[in-house]
Amino acid sequence: MDDSLEKPTAASQPTDPEEHTEDEQSSGEEDQGPDWTKIPYVVARPVIPKRGEKEFEPIAAGGSGLQRHVLDRARSAMLDALAAPRTISNKSISYAVWHPEIARGHVTLNRGIHFATMGHSVARAPSIQDGATKIQKRLELLPEEALYLVERGAMLCWKASELALSETPGLEDVEGVPMTVQQAFAEMVGTEDLTLEKYQVFAYLKRLGYVVTRTKPPSPDYPTPPPYSLRPPSILTRLHSALHSTMRRILQAFYPRIDWWNPLRLGRWLHHNLDSRSVFRSLRFLPAGHHIPLRVQTSPKCAPSQYEIFYNLYKPSTPFKKTAPPAPDFSVVVVNARTTPMPSLTDLAALFDVLPELPPPVPRKRVSFAQQKAMAMAAESPVAPAPDVEQPLLQRLFPWAFASPAKSTPPRNPNPFLALKSGKKMVVIAAVDAGTISFFRFGQGVFTEWPMA
Amino acid sequence: MSLITQKNNRRGGGNKGGARRHQNNTLYAHPLPLVLDQPPPTWSTHILGLFGLAGTRVLNPHCEGVFDPATRSVWVLNAKDLAILWTRGFFGKGDLSRSEPSWRTRQISAKRAAAGHYMTAEEVREKRRAERTQFKRDRAAAMAQAAAEAEAAFAAGCEVQHTTVIPSGATWKPQQPLADAPPPAPAPEEDDDRAFEAEVPALEHLQLTLQEAFFLMWTLDCLTVLDPATSAPMSLRDVWTAFRSVQCAPQIPIPGTLELDLYAGRFDNPFLVHYAAYHYYRSLGWVIKGGIKFCVDLLLYKRGPVFHHAEFAVVVLPVYEDPADQESSPFDLANASPFSWTWLSTVNRVNSQVQKTLILTYVTIPARSRMSPDLLSSPACLTHYSVREVVLRRFIPARMRD
Repeated sequence: MDDSLEKPTAASQPTDPEEHTEDEQSSGEEDQGPDWTKIPYVVARPVIPKRGEKEFEPIAAGGSGLQRHVLDRARSAMLDALAAPRTISNKSISYAVWHPEIARGHVTLNRGIHFATMGHSVARAPSIQDGATKIQKRLELLPEEALYLVERGAMLCWKASELALSETPGLEDVEGVPMTVQQAFAEMVGTEDLTLEKYQVFAYLKRLGYVVTRTKPPSPDYPTPPPYSLRPPSILTRLHSALHSTMRRILQAFYPRIDWWNPLRLGRWLHHNLDSRSVFRSLRFLPAGHHIPLRVQTSPKCAPSQYEIFYNLYKPSTPFKKTAPPAPDFSVVVVNARTTPMPSLTDLAALFDVLPELPPPVPRKRVSFAQQKAMAMAAESPVAPAPDVEQPLLQRLFPWAFASPAKSTPPRNPNPFLALKSGKKMVVIAAVDAGTISFFRFGQGVFTEWPMA
Repeated sequence: MSLITQKNNRRGGGNKGGARRHQNNTLYAHPLPLVLDQPPPTWSTHILGLFGLAGTRVLNPHCEGVFDPATRSVWVLNAKDLAILWTRGFFGKGDLSRSEPSWRTRQISAKRAAAGHYMTAEEVREKRRAERTQFKRDRAAAMAQAAAEAEAAFAAGCEVQHTTVIPSGATWKPQQPLADAPPPAPAPEEDDDRAFEAEVPALEHLQLTLQEAFFLMWTLDCLTVLDPATSAPMSLRDVWTAFRSVQCAPQIPIPGTLELDLYAGRFDNPFLVHYAAYHYYRSLGWVIKGGIKFCVDLLLYKRGPVFHHAEFAVVVLPVYEDPADQESSPFDLANASPFSWTWLSTVNRVNSQVQKTLILTYVTIPARSRMSPDLLSSPACLTHYSVREVVLRRFIPARMRD
């Protein structure tokens, strides 16, 4: 059975009708497997069989016939599904030419929805025609995008060749040497900073429906989101902070310096509000937090850090415009889990420096079941809501004097635990371990901002 | 429910819900051993308060402990101090108990139970666990029997009939009937109680880690540490030196050579590094307990272990400012080099299975090149360490799509 899988042929296995009539008693024919010519071509698309429950448990008596039968049935169903030919209608297939010298795939014919989120237009000057160089823009794909489409079967990729195929009769449509999927992998992985781990992460996320773009543009034509720039603080804030620091220095001159053998002075007098909260506040005299400058020296002999944001990730629901991408929802770093250890503090600080701060998460609005049903009913029935009771003129003129009829829900305070768990800045690190991808979110902690006392 | 103070509680579980919560709130009302005694609010105190003369008294319990270099801990032997330190801030761990020093109470209730022929909470728990194991064995045997039946039916080629019933938790009954229920015990008399209490000596002590002891001594000034050899109270300076030097291996001076103190002027003393992290979380109001059970260093509780499970599991990662310090370090600090993804995934998985969030706390150790070794003679060197934390969680793309 394995041999027939390794060498797929379009031709079905030939049957010899003469042999059948000669050897009616031989039962060898039935064991050779189903007669391919007789089976009608039922399976058009591969069907992925559902997974069942694993029933194997080691029994003292040895293997069980029932379990082996069930397992074999499931296994053969899976292999049949994999062996089914994958097809695509020739009206929905796209064509591209891969140029190894620029590591881009030039799309000659694009069809389908993939190109709404993939590919960028690049101006390439073709050869002089009609006495002037016409600058034409063409759609180009990065290596991972081209490879993804080829692997999906949505695109046929040719490799640009020197042969003058357009002159040969019958080969005008052919634009290069056709590439198999294996050849595409070999050509495209390794170019333009693409490693197999990065491609795997890209393909996995694309298959789930995300839009994945590169953070560092590989060429000036690649569209990037607006940069998150740390705006220089306005004059007012700078004045305020300068005033604050000078006041603090003046006050420190008056207050006694901290005695390191008795740091907390809980006097009976001259303490405006002595309760447990103020005791805890006065305990926080040691430096803590991410704003403290990091003074870690990196030895010059160690290699540059592997931790750099590589992909920008957009959720499928985010409106994405290829020419003007919005700010990314997530930033992804891809590393090889076998060769790279966990990020160190310097790596994380460098990553957090280029990321924006996230607002504290809003707790979910708890809607009771009765309210949910009412909302669903209101949404279904398109009847116009009853008109408001006509408010007296006086109430409309002086709304502040009268109690408001509809009390709007007060803004909910953010839950401290929710804020502590999500942190202020987030980076996603994908550790690829020989094919298995583990995604981790590293968030900048905000414990100093949410004290428990 | 505190076992120390509940004397006449025969019911194992106690009241859950409002009464128990109220009980816990009154018992564990103070977050620190220092009690702030507010004067009753009257007009005069209010006016004085506006001028900053509040008149709040600070009641200091002045507990006592003995330093034990062999176990690197401070032992609190006095029962009153033990109760104070545990109920106000959850400091320390009873050495004969899981966490709360309740050994004596458990022995007394065990004796009372033996005398009155009823079961203690621990015995009830053991019985329940034994029943559950028996149920699981019965269920496994029934499942194996059903599989054997299906196998036999398959081998014969006929349709399988399910005749064995696999027991479920709700319908299973223990096979052997229990011994007849004992006659109701008479109410324990006062003499019996006093006899029990006289029989059981107070063998348990509270063990404070060096960080907890230093925190109580240095910031709150409510603990006196006695020297184990002389039983004399140690001054804060003595304690500062002793706690740091106990981390070092004893050095044998080599005759004929200059004594090189490997440990002099080292800022990466494990006591200092862990104290920086401990002080940081304590000053934010968290109750800190050990985290060895979950592969981490510390567990953070919002108010205490009796109120709610820990929300956060903290791993302390020291970061050397100067890599040369790390190479020349005699201490070999744990987690000083970034660990592999396998270990990080392991710790993360262990903690997410118990619904705790993993926090990586980085403590930066100042470089020896820019610090003078004299700084180590006083706790002022702690200002040169900085603590920052990073929250680690899994990211599941299939679920984060919306």
